[in-house]
Amino acid sequence: MAELSKKDEPVDATPNVSEVAEIDAHSEEEAVAAIEAPVERGEPILQVRNLVKHFPLTQGILFKKQVGAVKAVDGVSFDLYQGETLGIVGESGCGKSTVAKLLMNLERATAGEIFYKGQDITRLSGRALKAVRRNIQMVFQDPYTSLNPRMTVGDIIGEPFDIHPEVAPKGDRRKRVQELLDVVGLNPEYINRYPHQFSGGQRQRIGIARGLALNPEIIICDEPVSALDVSVQAQVINLMERLQDEFNLSYIFIAHDLSIVRHISDRVGVMYLGKVAEIGTDVQIYDHPTHPYTQALLSAVPVPDPESREGRERIILTGDVPSPANPPSGCRFRTRCWKAQDKCATEVPLLAVPERFKGSDSPAAHESACHFAEEKDVVHAA
Amino acid sequence: MLLEVRDLHVEFRTRDGVARAVNGVSYQVDAGETLAILGESGSGKSVTAQAVMGILDMPPGRITGGEVIFQGRDLLKLKEAERRKVRGAGMAMIFQDALSSLNPVIPVGDQLGEMFVVHRGMSWRDARARAVELMDRVRIPAARERVRQYPHQFSGGMRQRIMIAMAIALEPALIIADEPTTALDVTVQAQVMDLLAELQREYRMGLVLITHDLGVVADVADRIAVMYAGRIVESAPVYDIYKAPAHPYTRGLLDSVPRLDQKGQELYAIKGLPPNLTRIPPGCAFHPRCPLARGLCRVDEPSLFEVSATRGSACHFWRECLDG
Repeated sequence: MAELSKKDEPVDATPNVSEVAEIDAHSEEEAVAAIEAPVERGEPILQVRNLVKHFPLTQGILFKKQVGAVKAVDGVSFDLYQGETLGIVGESGCGKSTVAKLLMNLERATAGEIFYKGQDITRLSGRALKAVRRNIQMVFQDPYTSLNPRMTVGDIIGEPFDIHPEVAPKGDRRKRVQELLDVVGLNPEYINRYPHQFSGGQRQRIGIARGLALNPEIIICDEPVSALDVSVQAQVINLMERLQDEFNLSYIFIAHDLSIVRHISDRVGVMYLGKVAEIGTDVQIYDHPTHPYTQALLSAVPVPDPESREGRERIILTGDVPSPANPPSGCRFRTRCWKAQDKCATEVPLLAVPERFKGSDSPAAHESACHFAEEKDVVHAA
Repeated sequence: MLLEVRDLHVEFRTRDGVARAVNGVSYQVDAGETLAILGESGSGKSVTAQAVMGILDMPPGRITGGEVIFQGRDLLKLKEAERRKVRGAGMAMIFQDALSSLNPVIPVGDQLGEMFVVHRGMSWRDARARAVELMDRVRIPAARERVRQYPHQFSGGMRQRIMIAMAIALEPALIIADEPTTALDVTVQAQVMDLLAELQREYRMGLVLITHDLGVVADVADRIAVMYAGRIVESAPVYDIYKAPAHPYTRGLLDSVPRLDQKGQELYAIKGLPPNLTRIPPGCAFHPRCPLARGLCRVDEPSLFEVSATRGSACHFWRECLDG
């Protein structure tokens, strides 16, 4: 285990910071002003560059020494544009939830930058950080544990106003909470009820109302519908889409259900073992995937149509996902990949448009971190 | 017929009153056949399986009527000692959560071997050898070394393989799998479903697959029974149901699932919520949420009407639903 910490390789994929509109925030005032400035639709609102989060593994009781690290997120870069939904998919342990926590500044990044309107939020503090936090909100997976059972719905949704009183003055709050309940499709008279009096779908609506309370610009949704039944799932998804239009929100939508992610997302990033394997528009990723992992993932999703039993190619991966404490050298997917060659063990593939597709206007020309990227349709029956 | 469930009723006593979890469920499974039981939480799909398997917690549960005919005998009339012989050797069950279904302080090999010691009277030495064979059979790599390991040393997919090995150990005629892949990642889910289908073919077992996943059902089932509020509302061969559902609830479920192969428009959402089982609406239990509901539906509980020789639908207006 001891040699683990030594081969902590430097982060690959050089950051592309040049295109980030960097405003040198000399004073807090300037930072706050930048954060409160509006962003045009279609412009990048969040730019993530080479984000890294390593959780230390320690040994010993009195004298703890670090013997390694769980590389939960290991060099992730992407942009979120104003008004769009970016889906992030991947299996358990791929680091997608850690990315969410880093974006919320609930975890401190080990390295890398998160630019929100040009301000690196990993380095902000004080008033500027508070202003950022108002604009980036989160909806959690489990509507049963993310609501305090001893608080009324009114107190839960109104609590953000205690920290940001400028959004709703004291006298206005009750009215504002009732408006929010109405917006998410709950009866405003339920304001004095407790969470246990609601079903799972209704609780998730309460969670969404709380997320909306401060008029944020970005909402990060970590598996927001995976705890819900199919019929209720559709209600919540439709609500989220309606709210996005109504309030001009940008979503980061993290989920393991690939069909739901396709439905709601404009662009999709596929993560594997702490890295982004492939990223592109929903058509590029689902209809023209070029990374073998994406292809295997998509081909494994059962389609609700018995006619497609035959004719659809199934790629059954062998083995399990390796431990993020000791990821394979080179390409992290190589231990399960049917295309792997010697090059894959030594060279880390960069997330970029593959050489062979450069300059092409085919939908296969999108960023994919594979040395042997090749288009393959695995979703539609032949 | 391998298994025939006839008019099964199960109730639970709760603080809010009597919850009628299963209200007259009937279905049949043949050897080599896969019947999928599809339903959302609270539809009674797991409770039905527990009653068939004989592992329902009684009390608070109570079987208030019906028959479970397995290989010609009504299991509900058997004594517990005889019932126990049927469990494991005749029918076996695979649960959703392998981690909590395995004993954490006993090596997996011993948990597998115990089946042979208890049911077949084998010596522990022979039983352990059989355990290694079984682990090989469900494709656990290095079975000979791993037979001494504990459940926490296996990944989720591997643990579910051990559950499958346990279920097939005594070569039962029927397997009931309750959401066997729900807790697994999609690539692992595909591995496990493949394995299950292969074993089923090999041993010609009947398989009752309980799930809420319309994709998994489309992939492996021969027939489907859709459950709502403790009743089967539609029963049909798998191809028929996906082509043209004959019950508005089935149609609603199919329409509310987003598709992987195309970007759809707004999802159809069934309005409202599933009923509280202590207060199931009169008439058709689905009527408060149904787009086709009329006066008749509020007062008259529909029986399972015959749509064709192989299909049934518990909807007064199934013809209308079938036409779309």
